[in-house]
Amino acid sequence: MFDNLLSGFSAILAVGPILGIIAGVIIGIIFGAIPGISGIMAIAIILPLTFYVDPIIGITMLLAVYKAGIYGGSISAILINTPGAAASFLTAVDGNALTKAGKAGKALDISLFSSVSGEMLATLVLILVAAPISAISLQAGPIEKVFLLLFAFTVIGTLAGESIPRGLLSCCLGMLFAMVGMSTITGASRFTFGYTELMAGFTFTPMLIGILVMPEVINVIRRRKVPHHEMMITHSPKPADNRISFKEYRSVFATIVKSSGIGTFIGALPGLGSSTAAFIAYGEAKRTSKKPEEYGKGSVEGIAAAESANNAVCGSSMIPMLTLSIPGDDVAALLMGAFLIHGLTPGPLIFFEHTETIYAIFAGFLITDLFLLGIAKSGFRFFVKVASLRRYYIFPCVTVFAFTGAFTAGQNMNDILVLIAFTIMGYSMRVFGLNPAVFIIGFILTPFLEQNLDQALAIVGTDYHLFFASPFSWVFIALSAFFIYSSLRMRKKATSTPQEKAV
Amino acid sequence: MDRRKVDVVLTTVLIIISLIILTSDQLVEGGAETDLGSMFLPRIVAVLMIIFSATIGIQSLKKLLQQKELEDKELIVTNGYGGIFIYIGIFIAYWLLVPVFGFIVTTPFVMFSVALLLGGRNWVPITAVSVITPILIFYGSSQFLRVFLPTWSL
Repeated sequence: MFDNLLSGFSAILAVGPILGIIAGVIIGIIFGAIPGISGIMAIAIILPLTFYVDPIIGITMLLAVYKAGIYGGSISAILINTPGAAASFLTAVDGNALTKAGKAGKALDISLFSSVSGEMLATLVLILVAAPISAISLQAGPIEKVFLLLFAFTVIGTLAGESIPRGLLSCCLGMLFAMVGMSTITGASRFTFGYTELMAGFTFTPMLIGILVMPEVINVIRRRKVPHHEMMITHSPKPADNRISFKEYRSVFATIVKSSGIGTFIGALPGLGSSTAAFIAYGEAKRTSKKPEEYGKGSVEGIAAAESANNAVCGSSMIPMLTLSIPGDDVAALLMGAFLIHGLTPGPLIFFEHTETIYAIFAGFLITDLFLLGIAKSGFRFFVKVASLRRYYIFPCVTVFAFTGAFTAGQNMNDILVLIAFTIMGYSMRVFGLNPAVFIIGFILTPFLEQNLDQALAIVGTDYHLFFASPFSWVFIALSAFFIYSSLRMRKKATSTPQEKAV
Repeated sequence: MDRRKVDVVLTTVLIIISLIILTSDQLVEGGAETDLGSMFLPRIVAVLMIIFSATIGIQSLKKLLQQKELEDKELIVTNGYGGIFIYIGIFIAYWLLVPVFGFIVTTPFVMFSVALLLGGRNWVPITAVSVITPILIFYGSSQFLRVFLPTWSL
C-alpha cells in the first residue's frame, strides 16, 4: 500500500494535477462561500470541463472543489450568519457570535484549522480502510451485489427523504428514468416512444445540472427581493482576537480528533451526510465540554467540533463509493458519475485495475488539504470580496456555465432541452418534498442493479431459494430492516418531541 | 398553497403512470430474450411507486378530509414565482435562439436579462460582464477543451 501511495504522490506532484488542485480549491472556496451556491453546484458546473483532461487531474480537481466547498460554506456562516452549506449551520451560530464580538479572524482561523485537520484524519482513514474493504467486497458475487444495492436504495431512500415514502419514491423515480433508452442487457428500447434521441437515455451531465444545480439558481430568483448582505471581516484592536494561537488550537485538538472520528464514521454510512455529522459531533462536544454554557454564544470549541466533523465526511463518504459502488450522498453520487465518465468504475476492482490512478487521487486528497490551508489562510480577504459580489453578477454567469456545461457533454442542443426539463423537475421535486439527491443515486445505481440481477437470475435459474443461500444476503436484509426500523423510530421521536414541548 | 392537494393530484398521476407501465406491452420494442426480460425491473419499480404514492396520497387526503392544520413543510410559498416563469422563459428562448444567432451573440442578452431580473441596475459593469464572459467561455472552450459552441447560422 505504501509503495502505491508513494507512486501516487509521484503522479500527483506534476504541474497539471497541482494546477488542477489549486484551481479546484479556489473555485470551491468561492462557490462554497457565496450564499445560495453550494460546493455541489460548483462540482456539477466544473464536471464537464474535466472530461478533456487526464482522470488524475480531473478527479483531483473535483475533489478539491468538494473539500474547499464544504470549508467555504463556513465563511459566509461566520461573517453574515448565512451558511453556504447546510452543514455549516452550527458554525454560523458560534462563528457569527464571535464575528459580532469583533473576533471574526479567530472564528475563520479555527474553522479553517479544524476543517483541514478533520479532512486529513478522514483521508488517512480512507486510505487505510478502503483497500482492505475492497478486498473483502471482491468476494461478493452478483447475488450479494443485488442485496447490497437493495440495501443501499433502502438506506438512502429512508434516511435522506423528508419522509420514508417520499425518499423511496424519489429513488424509484430515479430508477425509472435510468431505464429510459436501450437496455444494455436485452438491447430493447424502453420508454422511448419512437424518439431515436431517447435511445441512449438521458445524458447524465445536463440531467445532473438540471436536478441539482439549477433549482438553487431558481431559488435565488424566487427570493430575489431579499436584501443583499455584504460580508466583512471585523477586526479587534487586540491582535490575539484576530487569530488562533497554537495554545488555543492545542486546547481544542482532542475535540477535533473526536469530532473527526464521528464525522468519519457518519460519512462512511450511506445517506446521513455532513449535517448529521456536524450536529452529532457538536452535541457530543457540548456534552463533554468544561464550558458548555459558551456553546451557541461564540465557542471556539463548538466551531472546531462542527467544522472538523462536517469536513471529515468528505473523505469517508468515498469509502462506500470506492469499495462497494454505493454513493453515500449527493456529492458522492456526483463524483461517482465523474469517475464513470472518466472510465473508472468505482467498486472493489478499481484498486486492482486502476491502482496508480486511485492512489494518485488519494495522494491528491492529502495534498489538497495543504493547499486549502495555504490558499484559504492567505486569501481570506480576496474570497470574502468575491463571495460578496452581488447576485446579479454571479447568477447570470452560473446560468451560462450551466448552459455550456450541459452542451459540452455531447455538443448537442437536445441536451439543453434535457437541462431545462430536469431544472423544472428538480425544482418541483423540492417543492413537493421529494429528494433530488436520492433521485440521482437511484438513477446511477439502477444499471448496476439490473446487470447484477440478470446475472444472479442466470446463476440461480428456477431455484429462487438460492437467492437466500448466502449469509451476505441475510446480513443485508437484516441491515435494511434495521435501518428502516431505526429511521421510523428517529422520525417518530422527532415528531413527538415538539408536541411534548408544546404540552 | 396547500401541498396536500398537490400531493393527492401528483400521486394519482404517478399511480396512473405506474399502472400503464404494469399493463402496457407497447413501452418496449425489440430486444433479446433473457431470464430477466426488459420490463421486469420497470414493473417492479412501478409496483413500488404505486405503494409509496398511495401511502403519500392517502396520508395527505386523510389530513385534507380531517381539515388538519397545515404544517410548515406542507405550505408552498408561491411568492416570487413570476420571476421563476420569466427565468424559465429566458432559458427556453436561449435554447431556441443559440442555434440561429450563435453563442456569442445570444449569451450577452441572456446574461443581461437575468441580471435585470435579479434587480441589477449598474448598467456599465453588467454590460461588461455580459459581453466579456461569453467571449472568454467561447474561446476558452474551443481552444482548451475542443468544444465548439454554436455560431451564427443565419
